[in-house]
Amino acid sequence: MSDHSPSGRPGQVTITLDGVPREVPGGRSLAAALIAIDEPVTRHDRAGRPRAAYCGMGVCFECTVTVDGAPLIRSCQEPVRAGMSVDTTGEEAR
Amino acid sequence: MNTTTPDLLVVGAGPAGLAAAVTAATHGARVLVVDEQPRPGGQIWRRPDPANPGPDPLSAPAYAAGRALLTRAAAHPGIDFAHHTTAWGVFATRTAPDGWAAPPGTPVPAGPRVAVHGPQGVEVLLPRALLLTAGAYDLPVPLPGWTLPGFLTVGGIQALLKGHRTLAGRRIVLAGAHPLLLIAAAQLVRAGADVAEVAFAQHLPAPADLIRAVAALPGNRAKVAEGLAALRTLRRAGVPVHTRTLLLRAEGEQHVAAAVLARVDQDWRPVPGSARTVGCDTVGTGYGFVPSTELARQAGCAAHWNGPAGGWVLDHDDAMRTSLPHIWAAGELTGVAGAEHAVATGRRAGLDIGRSLGLLESAVHDRELRPVEAELAATGRMAAFLDHTCAPHRAGLHALADDDTVLCRCEEITFGGVRRTLADNPGLGTADAVKLLTRAGMGPCQGRMCGPALLELLHRETGVPRETIGAFTARPPVKPLPVDALARAHDATTTAESPTDAGPVVR
Ligand code: FES
Repeated sequence: MSDHSPSGRPGQVTITLDGVPREVPGGRSLAAALIAIDEPVTRHDRAGRPRAAYCGMGVCFECTVTVDGAPLIRSCQEPVRAGMSVDTTGEEAR
Repeated sequence: MNTTTPDLLVVGAGPAGLAAAVTAATHGARVLVVDEQPRPGGQIWRRPDPANPGPDPLSAPAYAAGRALLTRAAAHPGIDFAHHTTAWGVFATRTAPDGWAAPPGTPVPAGPRVAVHGPQGVEVLLPRALLLTAGAYDLPVPLPGWTLPGFLTVGGIQALLKGHRTLAGRRIVLAGAHPLLLIAAAQLVRAGADVAEVAFAQHLPAPADLIRAVAALPGNRAKVAEGLAALRTLRRAGVPVHTRTLLLRAEGEQHVAAAVLARVDQDWRPVPGSARTVGCDTVGTGYGFVPSTELARQAGCAAHWNGPAGGWVLDHDDAMRTSLPHIWAAGELTGVAGAEHAVATGRRAGLDIGRSLGLLESAVHDRELRPVEAELAATGRMAAFLDHTCAPHRAGLHALADDDTVLCRCEEITFGGVRRTLADNPGLGTADAVKLLTRAGMGPCQGRMCGPALLELLHRETGVPRETIGAFTARPPVKPLPVDALARAHDATTTAESPTDAGPVVR
């Protein structure tokens, strides 16, 4: 089990999360990788309250983020890839 | 194989889809299976990326049949898989004049056009037969705090674990009514999580007695053994398993920090003064499942309300034919009943499809049907038992939401908001009408999350029967897809709007 894992281990990949480079465990979905580094929030509601993955299987659309400029990507269905740029702040994610 | 014109197109690579694919391919059908996941197995037989090393989440004995079926399907030369692929529309099907498809075994006419979106963009597939096995998802239960990060469905927690080797959190409370809670809790414990509590709402003596009662049912030994093994694991780990206990709400500011649970009576009403707070960072709920019927309903397949079987389930005959010619359905779409029953219904559909495609002689069909029917009977008994003991008490769950509770997560519509709309518009009696007035159900999830709770709210506030209220109408695309992809599929549907730069996404 490699949740909440320290960085720098084999199998880690670096992504850009809201403009900041972050090491996350690879070989899993983007949502899982974000949860593993204690950054589960994928979007905010109109009042600014955080939202995150709920169903884990692609049906609730709570885990949507912008990936490399493409909005409304379900992070629970998206494999995490080294170098991907993930934005959780965009309007379109709301 | 030319994958755009398979004999059989299966939507969904879970137990039902795999079983049907193997059955039909064994008799010579060219089968294409499309699925949104990266690998076959559906929700229950999920496996992690092979690049992510560790023990196989399907190594438990209860998954032996699943492993075997996955291996057979992967090795069969007549089966192709298209993963990361969403089927979003079924076109050019006509309702039979009497509302029913041809009788079992009747040759299929020209098949439907099925629009999919995958790594290659949009494609239109022209199968001779279409089998829908989209499965089910956890019943969403709105209650205070359910939009907090750290609040997931038990299926979601399991998906993170089985499919991604990720623990959803450090200290986890599971609450609900479905035996999956026990299985998931044991898997979490084995993976090193701290499961603070498992709470069942039912008024039952104890889960162990329940499972002993189930042991009397023949033909379901693996399932019973799985439950007992899970209980043993939880007992050894010292995880409290409560019955008559309901999750009232989750608390926290930016993330789940606690679960509030209470004792309940037979009708799942909290016993005054019994509420207690359990500190945790993750809550998972499992009150049963909702069949994922949107693609089937979009195609025009008839559905009916069956609460214990998950809600809206597809009409089907003994051969798993839907109300439309050349469309079959299997697994949870025909009533939530678990993986074993899904496999049996998939085999049943595969046999009828094989015969209807002219690949399977009637004598062979009838011979192969006998064991499948025995399997259907055994797994059906188990499903009926679980329906009886584990069906969600919809009134009890409905009472958990207050006026401020979010009903529609996408559009941020509260229970109070819908109640006000109902008060201002007496006579509102359908889910679609409420959707138009409130926007509930208009977001990217297209009503999958709010649909069941909205139905219950309308039913309770107006007294209109659920059948009259109906489900939200399902329209293509049943899941959002990029406009440029849709533009390239103009021949798939006349409802698609012409390509413009209007925006990156249609809903
Ligand atoms: S968590 Fe529900 S769609 Fe990703």
